[in-house]
Amino acid sequence: MIMDLQFFSHHKGGGSTTNGRNSAGRRLGTKSADGSTVTAGSIIYRQRGTHINPGENVGRGGDDTLFAKVNGVVKFERLGRDKRKVSVYPVAE
Amino acid sequence: MISAVFTRNQEQNILEFRITGHADSGPYGQDIVCAAVSALAITTVNGLKQVVHVNPKIISNETDGGLLKVLQLDERKESQILLETFANGISDIAANYPDNIKVKNIDN
Repeated sequence: MIMDLQFFSHHKGGGSTTNGRNSAGRRLGTKSADGSTVTAGSIIYRQRGTHINPGENVGRGGDDTLFAKVNGVVKFERLGRDKRKVSVYPVAE
Repeated sequence: MISAVFTRNQEQNILEFRITGHADSGPYGQDIVCAAVSALAITTVNGLKQVVHVNPKIISNETDGGLLKVLQLDERKESQILLETFANGISDIAANYPDNIKVKNIDN
C-alpha cells in the first residue's frame, strides 16, 4: 500500500482553508528487504541524505538512492554506534 | 470517528482487522490522529507483505480512504507479533484520542 498519511481523513473537507496543499509522497524507503536477492543495479533504498549508508557492493546515486553493484543478498547492518549501512553479499553459485 | 475492529480466535490470534471511518481530528492535511492510524495500518500491511512475506486478503478504498479490511491473516508467530504490535499501537492512540477512534476486539 502507498503510505498515505491522510488515508483515514475526510478527503473532501468542508469549508475553506489556506492550507491543504500537499505534494505527492515521494515513495521513499526500503525497496529491497533484508535477506532478499537482488541483481546488480537494483535499487535497495530511496532516501534523502544518508539515512542509511552504502556498505559493500552498494553504490549511492545522485539523489542518495542506494543500489546494488553486484548480484547477491541484501543485508542491513549497523555502522558504528548509531548509524546503519546496507551491503550486498554475492551468493556462491 | 475511526472504528478499528480486531477479530480473534480462542488463542487470541488476530484473524482479521477492519478499520473504517475518518478521524475528524483536524482539517485535511492536519489530521494527526488520521495520520497516526494511517501510518500504523499501512506499515503493518506493507510489513506483512514485504517483511513477513505473507499475502492476506486486503480490501481498501484507496480513492477516498477510510476503509481498510485485512482478512485471512495467517497465525504464524511473525505475523502475529506484527499484528499484536499494531493492535497495541492503535489501542494506545484510542486511549489518548477517544473522541476520534475506538477499538473493539471480537472473539471468533
